[in-house]
Amino acid sequence: MSNSHLFLKSGFPRAPLQNGVGRYICQLQRITLKFCKNNGSSRGMREFIEKQLIDFAKENPGTVVYVKPRRHRTPVIVAEYLNGDREWHNCRNLSKEEITQWITLMKTQNGSSSSLRLRKMWHTDMPSIQGPWTPFTLKNPASNLVIFPNEELSKPLDVEKSATEKLIELFREQRLSEGKLEENRGN
Amino acid sequence: MSILKRTQQWATFARTWHIYDCTWQNPFDSAKVVKNHLMGLHKPIYHPMNDCGDHVVLINTGEIALPGDEWIKRVYFHHTGYPGGASWTLAWQLHEKDPTMVMKKAVYAAMKGNLQRRHTMQRLHLFPDDKVPEEILGNVTSQIKQTRVVPKRLDHIDKETLENFPAIMDYPKDYVLR
Repeated sequence: MSNSHLFLKSGFPRAPLQNGVGRYICQLQRITLKFCKNNGSSRGMREFIEKQLIDFAKENPGTVVYVKPRRHRTPVIVAEYLNGDREWHNCRNLSKEEITQWITLMKTQNGSSSSLRLRKMWHTDMPSIQGPWTPFTLKNPASNLVIFPNEELSKPLDVEKSATEKLIELFREQRLSEGKLEENRGN
Repeated sequence: MSILKRTQQWATFARTWHIYDCTWQNPFDSAKVVKNHLMGLHKPIYHPMNDCGDHVVLINTGEIALPGDEWIKRVYFHHTGYPGGASWTLAWQLHEKDPTMVMKKAVYAAMKGNLQRRHTMQRLHLFPDDKVPEEILGNVTSQIKQTRVVPKRLDHIDKETLENFPAIMDYPKDYVLR
């Protein structure tokens, strides 16, 4: 996230009112195509209007389509959504296919996606099956009975045996074996 | 938010109290461990933007062991802000004035200098000896492991163990022990 995005809204991927579960409502409410009748930069837009716009309007009765010619200006798409978002998109020198792609995107999304930073790239209704972590998970219940400060718990885990301890162990082993020898002799 | 979810939230973000015994410990190594618990870095839910740090009680800070000759070489700098207001205090002098100060500064220096650091330090409780008020000790539910073993002093070992300790050889009868 850079400084230019400080005021960019952030959110999570979501479907408004469980859209698509049972019934689907197209979230795109109004689309305005602005173009010039003469200028070359509007060529793709003019083609789209001539060949595909009628079909688009028929297929999407929930969306209002406005067409607005204006002289010597860049072609533009403005999409208005059910949640109040208004998305403005520049279509200068775009071909008919590219415009179709943009309009399909606007038709299928539920708000202006370019003005929302997604905090997570996924959505789930069940974030964790085993339950969220707490400080008490996987704690030994015996730790409830400990009186603090406790010397045993304070000792580091990875301690090697010192030379003294090794020596004492050797000494004990020697004593044990000597005792056994004597026992054997006695027998 | 349902009652169950609210309780879940309280449980996940519950603050734990840890205790750490500073006896014979290097304050700069210990500070790295203590810092993790203070900031909540040891938790799986850690994120810099969520407030999940724990309380840490440091006891016996008067018994810390600085490495090498750091007691006489380490210098703490302070400036009052007035001309000629600079002062340099040796570690042993600072330790004489306040036995918790070396440990406190070690933990403070172990953390990154950001706006959160002062608030994180408020969760650190230092005591020069093992006398901790009951209301603080009552909160403690966990002990942080020390970074090194505390060596046992000869005069703290009981007589029986000393006498039964294996001797490599016996001194001759006319040998003068001083």
